[in-house]
Amino acid sequence: MSVELILTVVVLTNLRLLGASRLGACIRTVGLQGLLLGLLPLATGGRLTTLHVVVLAVGSMVLKGFVFPRLLFWALREAHVTREVEPFIGYTGSLLIGGFMLGGAVWLGDRLVIGGTTDLSWVVAVAMFSILTGLFLIVARKRAIHQVLGFLVMENGIYIFGIGAIPGIPLLVELGLLLDIFVAVFVMGIAVYHINREFDHMETDKLDVLRG
Amino acid sequence: MNSYLVIWLLLIVPVAAACLAVLQKSARVALRIALVGVGIELCLGLAIAKRVFSSGAATAGAEWLRLDALGAYNLVVMLVVYFLSSVYALFYFGREIDAGKLVANRARMFAGLWCGALGAMTLVFVSNNLGIMWVGIEATTLLTAPLISVHVTRESLEAMWKYILICSVGVAFAFMGTLLVAAGARSMGIESEHILFWTELCRNASVLDPAFVKAGFVFLLVGYGTKAGLAPMHNWLPDAHSQAPTPVSAIFSGFMLNAALYCVMRYVPVVESVPGLKGWSSSLLILLGIVSILVAAVFILSQHDLKRLLAYHSVEHMGIITLGLGLGGLGTFAALFHTLNHSLCKTVAFFTAGRLGQACGTHNMSRLSGSMRLSIVWGGGLFCSILVLIGIAPFAIFMSEFQILKAAADNQAMVVAALFLVGCGIVFVGALGHAMPLAWGDPGDARLALPARRAEAAIVFLPLAALLVLGLWMPASFKHALAAAADVIKQAGAVQADSMFSIAR
Repeated sequence: MSVELILTVVVLTNLRLLGASRLGACIRTVGLQGLLLGLLPLATGGRLTTLHVVVLAVGSMVLKGFVFPRLLFWALREAHVTREVEPFIGYTGSLLIGGFMLGGAVWLGDRLVIGGTTDLSWVVAVAMFSILTGLFLIVARKRAIHQVLGFLVMENGIYIFGIGAIPGIPLLVELGLLLDIFVAVFVMGIAVYHINREFDHMETDKLDVLRG
Repeated sequence: MNSYLVIWLLLIVPVAAACLAVLQKSARVALRIALVGVGIELCLGLAIAKRVFSSGAATAGAEWLRLDALGAYNLVVMLVVYFLSSVYALFYFGREIDAGKLVANRARMFAGLWCGALGAMTLVFVSNNLGIMWVGIEATTLLTAPLISVHVTRESLEAMWKYILICSVGVAFAFMGTLLVAAGARSMGIESEHILFWTELCRNASVLDPAFVKAGFVFLLVGYGTKAGLAPMHNWLPDAHSQAPTPVSAIFSGFMLNAALYCVMRYVPVVESVPGLKGWSSSLLILLGIVSILVAAVFILSQHDLKRLLAYHSVEHMGIITLGLGLGGLGTFAALFHTLNHSLCKTVAFFTAGRLGQACGTHNMSRLSGSMRLSIVWGGGLFCSILVLIGIAPFAIFMSEFQILKAAADNQAMVVAALFLVGCGIVFVGALGHAMPLAWGDPGDARLALPARRAEAAIVFLPLAALLVLGLWMPASFKHALAAAADVIKQAGAVQADSMFSIAR
């Protein structure tokens, strides 16, 4: 599979996330995105398929494609919710903003030229778009699960940038990153569970006791 | 013992202690194991630091691990704070166990994560690879997040959620920054394994791509700045500090924030040596520092909760350290000196505040008034530590703040100096207004006197005494260590920094 194809599908999954209201669908979409990104290091041109690359690809696919969705579905079941409540910004509005973000990301991709490499503008653009989408989801949605998903999408964006633009980041660093994301999602999942038990809901805009 | 062996041991001991502590049945034994682990770590840290200061940086693991003067200095400060907090935690949680407020498995979890977080922070200081350093910082976030809700309540869960989400996103920004710096280094032909090595980046800084380094540093500053609690990214900090159990608050304030700032310190010499960027990073640091000081000053005025008050003090002091770092020269030296002063003092402040809060069941300052009558150790210690925090002469915090002021004057950055003084002035008046009734106010209902053990009195008053001594007289060896650490950041004279602030230029 070519890099361009993978990246294009990633853009589509991002747009789907912006427009979807059912949490289950969102979790599956993020899982799909994770699977695709696992293929990315295998597809990156000009790079020999070393053990390093295979370990990374398999690890990332298993984690992002299977472990995270299962964990989040578990939290969802415990919380008895299926839908986003009234989001701060509606779905049509979100998609419109998504369009603008994509435009901005493409513009940025054209501007940032990395020395000594072939044309990477699409990689940088998709990376930036994913980061922006993730941040937007964190800010504009109320459900705690949705914020975890936003965090994951953002991390995916950074991962695309790392794999695409700077090959040769040592394996140890990449594995550390993967482990950190794993623990982050794990801890967040536990937190969602506890929040739901204590508060009988998981809407983060109602977490407002502490202020000032 | 070989120094590389010591570096490896520094990483292994906390992990081993964490595993041992989790396996214990008794909560008390788990807490004691944590204390012993931290004690061993402290001895190791002191030994290696002594060697680093006398004979230069120590490396291990094919240069992946490297401890230089800056790292060693921060490591020692951290270990001292950690050791004090571990002693305090033993007494603090001991009382809760007696009162049946803490069940054994929560205590075990605390002990395990406590040692784990120590290991993660140690990793930050000993790693030469900036990617691994980032992994260490993110690991501290994840390991300390459950510590906030050792007692599961609504407030602590809310604080934990804010902490983990805001800091994870912030620290993800820092990773993006790390990648951008690496992208800026791609064209210079470093072997890809070594592209993130701090030593390599420093050596080759003059050929880095300025555009990428610039973008990267902005991401890094926002990212690590979030973790360090610099305004305006500080929102998580007061909540987390006020809701966490006190030993955890002490570590958060006393050292976790500094660990994030340390990461920024690592990048400063790299960015400063990139052609065309001299002075650029300094001006950003100065701006962020001043904003933090002023924001904290405003919030300190209107606090009712004692631990939140102390948390905003942390924002202020992180701002002061950042300001010193940005001013360079004497400012860098003073910033590092301030790191030690703030860590020691803030730890003591949290110790006393936490004990009073534990006894009275609240951290509301109006209900804690007259604490001096309750206990001279806790009430008096709290009053003294607040005085030291706001910069009463001749304690060490006064000296380091004075040096930073002098650094600003040396750079003829008069507006910066004026804003710094205004911020410190507001904090001084505001905090003193809180501290007076807290110490001498009318306690209202008669309460029991609070006894304090000898060891508890020692961990309150010894650090304060140390701060007094350091304010009056700085031992030559300590001065040498500080200067060596500041030399690593070596920005001496790098400050045409603030064209946007200086009027007398």
